Amino acid sequence: MSTHDSDQLQQDIKTVAWNASNQIQSTDQRAALAAHVPRALGLLLVVPIAGLLLQGIRYLEGWQAASIFPLVVWVGLTVAVPLGWFLYKAGTLRISIDRQRALLAADRQLGSADRITTADEFMQKSTTSGFMEAAVDDAATWAEQGRDTRLSMNVDSQPRKILAWLAVPASALLLGLVFLAGHYTRPVAVLNADSPGMFTPLIDNPESPNSDNDVDLKEPQPEDTDDSLKKPAKEPRKQRAVNRQGEANAAIPDSAEESDGKLNEGETRESQQASNPSSARGAPSASGQPSKSDDEQKPRKKSKKKSKPERERDKKERKEDEKPSGASAGQGSSKGSDNNAAPSDWASTSQAATPEDENIEDEDDVDDEEEEQESRGGVQPNMRDRRTPVNRDLQIGFGNARPNPDANGRGGPSGQKKSRGVASLVLGVPIPDRINGQPNKGRIRITQQRITPEIEESEQVPAQGRTTLNGPVGPMHHPKLEPWLQNLVRTYFLNQREQTPLRTSEKDDETNISDDSLQTSSNAESDSPQS
Amino acid sequence: MSSTLSANTPAEAREAAEEFRTVHSAIRKEVGRMMVGQDATVDGVLAALFAAGHVLLEGVPGLGKTLLVSSLGKAIDLSFSRIQFTPDMMPADIRGTNVLSETETGGTKLEFQSGPLVANLVLADEINRATPRTQAALLESMQEKQISVGKRTIKLDDPFCVMATQNPVEQEGTYPLPEAQLDRFLFKLVVGYPAENDYRTILRRTTSNEEIDLKPVSDANTVIRMRQVVRAVPVPEHVETDAIRLVMATQPGNEYTASMVNEVVALGASPRGVQALILAGKVRALLEGRFAVATEDLKAVAPDVLRHRVLVNFQGMSEGITSDDVIAEVLK
Repeated sequence: MSTHDSDQLQQDIKTVAWNASNQIQSTDQRAALAAHVPRALGLLLVVPIAGLLLQGIRYLEGWQAASIFPLVVWVGLTVAVPLGWFLYKAGTLRISIDRQRALLAADRQLGSADRITTADEFMQKSTTSGFMEAAVDDAATWAEQGRDTRLSMNVDSQPRKILAWLAVPASALLLGLVFLAGHYTRPVAVLNADSPGMFTPLIDNPESPNSDNDVDLKEPQPEDTDDSLKKPAKEPRKQRAVNRQGEANAAIPDSAEESDGKLNEGETRESQQASNPSSARGAPSASGQPSKSDDEQKPRKKSKKKSKPERERDKKERKEDEKPSGASAGQGSSKGSDNNAAPSDWASTSQAATPEDENIEDEDDVDDEEEEQESRGGVQPNMRDRRTPVNRDLQIGFGNARPNPDANGRGGPSGQKKSRGVASLVLGVPIPDRINGQPNKGRIRITQQRITPEIEESEQVPAQGRTTLNGPVGPMHHPKLEPWLQNLVRTYFLNQREQTPLRTSEKDDETNISDDSLQTSSNAESDSPQS
Repeated sequence: MSSTLSANTPAEAREAAEEFRTVHSAIRKEVGRMMVGQDATVDGVLAALFAAGHVLLEGVPGLGKTLLVSSLGKAIDLSFSRIQFTPDMMPADIRGTNVLSETETGGTKLEFQSGPLVANLVLADEINRATPRTQAALLESMQEKQISVGKRTIKLDDPFCVMATQNPVEQEGTYPLPEAQLDRFLFKLVVGYPAENDYRTILRRTTSNEEIDLKPVSDANTVIRMRQVVRAVPVPEHVETDAIRLVMATQPGNEYTASMVNEVVALGASPRGVQALILAGKVRALLEGRFAVATEDLKAVAPDVLRHRVLVNFQGMSEGITSDDVIAEVLK
């Protein structure tokens, strides 16, 4: 290749690379900015949400300003935040296009099979071969074609995020809510100064910020007042229940036991706990307030375990429910759990000395222990069930032929038997034994029972009294015989009968012999030292 | 014709490339007289021959695999031998062994009797029917181009090309080739059924009195020279990068690997796969009239080069995924 041609080719390749990189850069920038659009649309929601939060805070804190900002400011801020972020991203967007990437894109579009890229690379090498130079020459035509052709880069069509555009109406809606929320203020509840603990809800007048109620709110309040402010919905309800119960106890004191242990609809147990001591003391109005000790006990109560007084109370309530109604009449206190009919203070410690209470104490100890184990989160097993882990040694005995007491041949504490050798190499699902440790279908169960031996009396039969059987021996099977076999059998027995006298004499001889032997044995017994 | 290549100038390179195309076309045409409807397979076998590789042909019986290789041997005028592998075949049966022969003077001497492996073109028919011991005897010859018998090492003549066939359906009584041996094949070509028109041509040629006598259109020296031409083709860096990443993408757990490959591939291609990719790409670049390898050459030869180097695991097999599916995923 001549120098002129080489320079021309270099110039063409440079032009192609420049054009391609510009095209790619603009394409990539468009793609990058398009990717930022959904995020910017999402930012449209930031200011309205923040406005709603501010309005919420204003409502809760009782700020009297009708609106924090005018609507125009809200709209301006809503648009400015995403727009500013988008402009920042666009301004800081830097896309650098590699020369090789640009040439490859050009090659791909021209269908030149990487010829221009290859030529560009080979031209920068110091040592070239004939094939390299031929490849460079081969690229000249394609580079010239690429120089004159405007490349059009295909942008990967990304799916349009339609959902992101929903942020626009959502933002407008939220802005409207922010604007509307500015017209509402919070009704403020103040305490009734005449009766502490009793308060009535008052609607605050926004136009009179210096009213007495506001002053009361801003001043430091006692604890009861704070509690009442913190629980505006629960406390009046409790208070109503207290009042109702106190009135009922004052009017009908004997009916206290009937109502104990039964919660009315809408009443909490605490309300009844607060009301019952007042009925016992006969001071319904003064002691109707829930005591502080009761309030302190509440956080100590766990969901799983009741506190000790509560358990005692439940137990006593159960006992009282079991009693006939007349037996407990006149106790005066629904919490009088013992048999003493005299009214007594629940808080007295003298009742703890009864045996029942001691049993309760013991049960509490057991419960505490169980609770301690439960409180470990079930991670640790029960200490009573904790055993020494089984030795994983599969050997039944040690090397010195001494049995290994811990080895059961199972290789671990589980019921599944661990195999060794070839069986363990076989790929498969381990199947537990049907019966642990039994190769057969099952085991023979041996049960032992303790039975006192009983004496059974039976008649002793002397040996001489045993004779031949006279009675029937039961049905006997007679096979059907062929006629010739019947004759044979008949002939046999007839011959036997003919020989009967001879056998009788032989039997007599045997009897004599047996008599002699008997005599000998009796002599031997008489010679024994025992005789 | 000289067996050395001189391509220092663009003109010589063009001449060498032109000669390559001419030789390839001549051999292809001559083999095409016998083989019908298997053009892709013929191209693959010739590419492997010029790239100094070995070919594994896989196809059902009756597709002309053996006929293709024997035709190639006739068309190129190379020493050709055929080994029909059976389960009782021993390594000595293919390599050769020392036999006791009688001398002219009446004495005896140990003489090496070479086996069928000592040839330029070796057709290993139904290679998966041989025992692993016999299959392993091919390893040394395929990679080192030599065989060792006792203390004797015999250098095999160049060009040496093993073209093995195997049947994918009759797997009973076969010994699948181990990965080490599969990796030594440059290509694994799947021989498919011919088209309808090709059936007619096959019938006319094989069921009549017409006898086709193939004539040699090339020789061993030409093949050696063409191999040098192939090796002279340069590879740009970006193509090398693409080839490396393509092979790495078949290896599970790699940064270029797709999630599908991670799930279904047990073994990916080795560095020998990259060598095969580049060599096969060079052949294709020459046949396409280019003087350097392009990325599209790699993509074109990747299925044949990587098919037997990618091992699908049990999960992939249970889902019906083949190595071709994996390669297609990698090439996306």
